[in-house]
Amino acid sequence: MEKENLPPVSFAVLDKVLDLARANSLWPVTFGLACCAIEMMSAAMARFDIDRFGAGVFRPSPRQADLMIVSGTVTKKMAPVLVTLYDQMPSPKWVIAMGNCAISGGPFVFEGQYNLIEGVDKLVPVDVYVPGCPPRPEGLLEGFLKLEEKITGKRRFPGPVERW
Amino acid sequence: MVDKTKAELQAAFADLTIIEESYPQCGYHLSVDLKAKDILEVAGFFDERHFYLAVELGVDYKDYLELVYIFSIHSSLCKVKVTLKLDPSQPAAPTLSKIYACAYWYEREIHEFYGVRFEGHPGLTYLFLHDGIDFYPLRKEKIPVSEKDRQELNSYSPALRDDSLFINMGPQHPSTHGVLRVVLKMDGEYIEDAYPVLGYLHRMQEKMAENRSYYQFLPNTGRMDYLGAMSFNLGYVTAVERLAGIDVPARAHYVRVIATELNRICSHLLWIGAYLADLGGLSPFLYAFDDRENIQDVLEAVTGSRLTYCYFRFGGLYNDVDDAFILGTKAVIARMRGRFALYEKLVGGNVIFINRTRGIGVIEKERARKYAVCGPVLRGAGIGMDLRKKEPYAAYPEIDFEVPIGTNGDALDMYHIRIKEMETSLNIIEQAIERLPDGPFIVEKAPKKLKPRKGDLYHVVETPRGELGIYIVSDESDKPYRMKWRVPSFSNLMIFPELAKGNLLSDAVAILGSLDLVIPEIDR
Repeated sequence: MEKENLPPVSFAVLDKVLDLARANSLWPVTFGLACCAIEMMSAAMARFDIDRFGAGVFRPSPRQADLMIVSGTVTKKMAPVLVTLYDQMPSPKWVIAMGNCAISGGPFVFEGQYNLIEGVDKLVPVDVYVPGCPPRPEGLLEGFLKLEEKITGKRRFPGPVERW
Repeated sequence: MVDKTKAELQAAFADLTIIEESYPQCGYHLSVDLKAKDILEVAGFFDERHFYLAVELGVDYKDYLELVYIFSIHSSLCKVKVTLKLDPSQPAAPTLSKIYACAYWYEREIHEFYGVRFEGHPGLTYLFLHDGIDFYPLRKEKIPVSEKDRQELNSYSPALRDDSLFINMGPQHPSTHGVLRVVLKMDGEYIEDAYPVLGYLHRMQEKMAENRSYYQFLPNTGRMDYLGAMSFNLGYVTAVERLAGIDVPARAHYVRVIATELNRICSHLLWIGAYLADLGGLSPFLYAFDDRENIQDVLEAVTGSRLTYCYFRFGGLYNDVDDAFILGTKAVIARMRGRFALYEKLVGGNVIFINRTRGIGVIEKERARKYAVCGPVLRGAGIGMDLRKKEPYAAYPEIDFEVPIGTNGDALDMYHIRIKEMETSLNIIEQAIERLPDGPFIVEKAPKKLKPRKGDLYHVVETPRGELGIYIVSDESDKPYRMKWRVPSFSNLMIFPELAKGNLLSDAVAILGSLDLVIPEIDR
């Protein structure tokens, strides 16, 4: 192929630029479920300041958000609501399962349980799992860094050095 | 008061057998077993004497179902347990909802968990459980949902029956603090009626309690009310200690008070932040969380967690406090004392805030009693009942403090009361630190496996949101036979439809926020 016939813009580069923008302005939907929601709020407040990563713009409407933090237990009654909210979010969109309940049902799983969805990944695709009961705000921040890594392909800060 | 009530009850109902119980063991003074036809008259008797219905619950004893009503009174210490035995194959009982408004809600709960039909109940539909449930969860045997109840299983949708305008507030709404859904029937901009729909976070805590040993259930308490985790933990631990007769060393009592009061301040701080955020002012949120983090640092060092504490053990504590904790707590007290002036400037004296909350959601004394509201909401209505004073537990009997009382019972009063309660908590902590005795922090022979005596117990503690009642039935095994949690937010939510009626839609947020609801606690 001759050089003149090439497209004037390389879309690969544009995609990279867009990914960079997306990774640095993740807007989560305000969606607190249980105990983890309080730690999510703590992460957004002064000490942990999630705004440093451009993710502090919590939107009450799913239509303005591109990230859903499932922070708490998902019950069978709540499941349709959660799926509706996820469907209403415009693509591209991501999901963080915060806390053990959202990951697997956590401490509330027992034989004969009748009201729990054992893991939000049974309902919507999950990108990052943040374990803990509840996870510390630092844990959620690390979850954000992981998600950014997933979007852009490289980590914003050097990760922790593995010592053992 | 107990003797007087007993005499009057005996005079009014000659053929009743009234048993006097040991209050330190059972948590109530008198117990009466009734026939179903008498319950309305007996409830009327208590209503006339200004008792409130603290809780109504069901217990499945396999060969019969038992309804338990606990009547209590604000002004003095007198509790009466009234029981009603029902036939397990066709359980039915008369409704108390016409006498006590709060029974409307308790009976709906009993209906869906036990299948008891309350005759004459105006709205016996499903409140907590999801559409697909096909048995009564708290019955000991798996009993399929009856045909009549099956028709009511679908989630609440009033629009099908009525062509007024309905607005759904929640389950995903920033100001419901979780997953509460309130369906509002509107007349233009005004609220005609409000129907709370619960159960979006029903985590089966009471069912779980029956499946686990007393020790295994300990971490659940902190997850029920994650803002006042320490109070719930304390309530559970003291209830089981009372049931099993475990003594606690003095040091543990004092540390429990310090930790619980620190947690209470945390809880009230979060309320201030979140309430103001609901009303549209975001900056107090940042200030409140800043203070909260400081308290959490202190607590984290000894308890090991930031939010869902599980610090107390049967017979004492998980570990002892050190000098760093004492110094940290003193620093927190000094810091918090200086912050109230700032909150007064930022919130209390703010004209916008005052105008949005003054005269909104006014609760009168009589209405507060009918709905059995509790905690700061009750004290806002002018009834100065604080269980830390009325039925003291831990080290509270030895500590001197005042109970702040409101005058108007509106949302503005709730704010002032919570601010004053934080100041009270600081005073309590200061006294407790001064008197903190040396000695062991847990009894030497803390039981590894608990098998409490046979019988039941109703134990109450004051949480940041009000009266937490724990009703435990023990059958001498290491698991509770039945554990009912009478949670403060549930009874405070019940009054919301009454308060919202006739108000503007924008005020609904201000009223709902002033009640300080924690949803996992309501849904359990």
